Amino acid sequence: MSGYTEGILILLCINAIAAMGVSLLTGFTGIFSLGHAAYMALGAYTTAILTVQHGIHWLPAILLGGVVAVAVAYFIGVPTLKLMGDYYAIASIGLGEAIRLILENWQSVTRGARGYPGIDPYTTLPVALAFFVVLAAFMFNLINSRFGRACKACRDDYIASSLLGFHTARIRVLSLMISAFYCGVSGALLGGFLSFIQPVMFDMLKSTELTAVVVFGGLGSMSGSILGTAVITLVTELFRPISQYRMLIYGAVLVVIMVLRPEGIMGNREFLSWVKAPFRRRA
Amino acid sequence: MRADLRSPSSIRERGDPSLATLIQQVINGLSLGSVYALIAVGYSLVYSILLFSNFAHGGFLVIGGYICYGTLRTFGTGIWMSGALALAGAGLAAVLTERLAYRPIRERTNVTLYLLIASMGMSIVIENIFVIVAGGRFRALPPVIPTAPVNLMGLATTSAFDLLSLVSAVVFLGALQLFLSKTRWGLAIRAAAYDLRTAGLMGVNVNLLISIVFFVAGALAAVGGIFLSVRYTLYPQLGAITIKAFVAAVIGGLGSLPGAVVGSLILGLAEMLTAGFISSQMRDLVVFSMLVITLLVKPTGLFGKSVSEKV
Repeated sequence: MSGYTEGILILLCINAIAAMGVSLLTGFTGIFSLGHAAYMALGAYTTAILTVQHGIHWLPAILLGGVVAVAVAYFIGVPTLKLMGDYYAIASIGLGEAIRLILENWQSVTRGARGYPGIDPYTTLPVALAFFVVLAAFMFNLINSRFGRACKACRDDYIASSLLGFHTARIRVLSLMISAFYCGVSGALLGGFLSFIQPVMFDMLKSTELTAVVVFGGLGSMSGSILGTAVITLVTELFRPISQYRMLIYGAVLVVIMVLRPEGIMGNREFLSWVKAPFRRRA
Repeated sequence: MRADLRSPSSIRERGDPSLATLIQQVINGLSLGSVYALIAVGYSLVYSILLFSNFAHGGFLVIGGYICYGTLRTFGTGIWMSGALALAGAGLAAVLTERLAYRPIRERTNVTLYLLIASMGMSIVIENIFVIVAGGRFRALPPVIPTAPVNLMGLATTSAFDLLSLVSAVVFLGALQLFLSKTRWGLAIRAAAYDLRTAGLMGVNVNLLISIVFFVAGALAAVGGIFLSVRYTLYPQLGAITIKAFVAAVIGGLGSLPGAVVGSLILGLAEMLTAGFISSQMRDLVVFSMLVITLLVKPTGLFGKSVSEKV
């Protein structure tokens, strides 16, 4: 396998991990985020600082990166997710920008806007693939668990689900924390893949991309999000020569999908049920 | 701000926390805040009717700015004519955005998440149309708005531009207030903000009403866009500054128009006082900390309706 193909596959795994996190939040719990790149940044910087400056092995460092993202998500989520409406969406923009500004200005720890070089390239294909498989297995079980069904109930009708005894605010916060963990790990792996990170890599455009991928794949479909990631990552590679039109196409695709097919590629079905459907007896 | 940066004597004064600097920064802050208010009010107006954050709002501001720039440069029209064209153009663009992107979604479902994502797509589209058509360059508007220093009764010096933008914002916000409180359509909009469906059942033409709301929001954003492109410069990503207007709307209470104005003024003051007395790198950080503090202490904002979960 050539280095280029391997690089794309690693990137695919990293993007898919982040997309699964955002998918749980946006697709399954119905909370819209415009700042998930911030959690990736937290994971990436925590891992980079722990491995480079404190010589900690990369595996616990990546997990700690995820944990830091979870802690921040908790502090942002508790006040904002109690409210219905677009409060979290706006708070997430604020959070994203604030974290990026802190990373840029806290020279002594993060080395500022010029970026953080010299990260050990620990993200090889087996590592990325292993993380992807483990996290995907966990996520696919999670969305069919009691918790996953509670998330969907909150998304579809939070009044009815709270009447049924679900603690909706707590479920929303927990969903945010899990999604922050996925994004933190994804950011940490990205740092190990590029061995260089920069605050500007985690700006609002990256956050938008994360959400766009999930919408494109289908809100409420985990396999759709992974498919969406694959399509967008590969199309990005193909469109590299006409990169100035890339974002225009992105935006237009988002609008067109919302107008024509708001359920995205997969709708809210999973890939397996889609394959099995023709063989199933009609009830 | 722009005028006093050029003269070295006022730079020396800036570090000195004297009364003159304070007055100057307060005026600057009110002026910047009033521009935020123009943007935040339109955004809040749309939110109060359709209950979703219109992220394409920043695009309307950029459209207004570029129309003003384009007509000034190519046709040599005066600022009044260009300004009027910019207002009308941005208003129409907002109506068109609503017709093309939001109405089909609105008619099919009441999931506001879809509207939110479509608006995000529209904001990317508008920004990148200008990147491709006009290029990513920073453009300065021709000197149509006076920026000469003005002395305020010997107390402080400020630029004519700051006073002008403050006065214009007051005029436009006053006109909006009159429109909302004295006209039939204003009454309909207030009714729709209370309950869109019921307003529709009472015989209000909901689609026309939403178009009017978008036109007003787009036109107000264009006024903000013209003043922002004089204050800073004009470039496709200028719309990103609406984030601060969103923050202001949250501080004031989402969907509340007086809240949007008060929140914007607070934000403008905080930003300018930070820039004047602490450091201008900190001003954005102060803005976002204020957002987080508001959400922690009083999440519904200063004038917000209670939207908290009861359970």
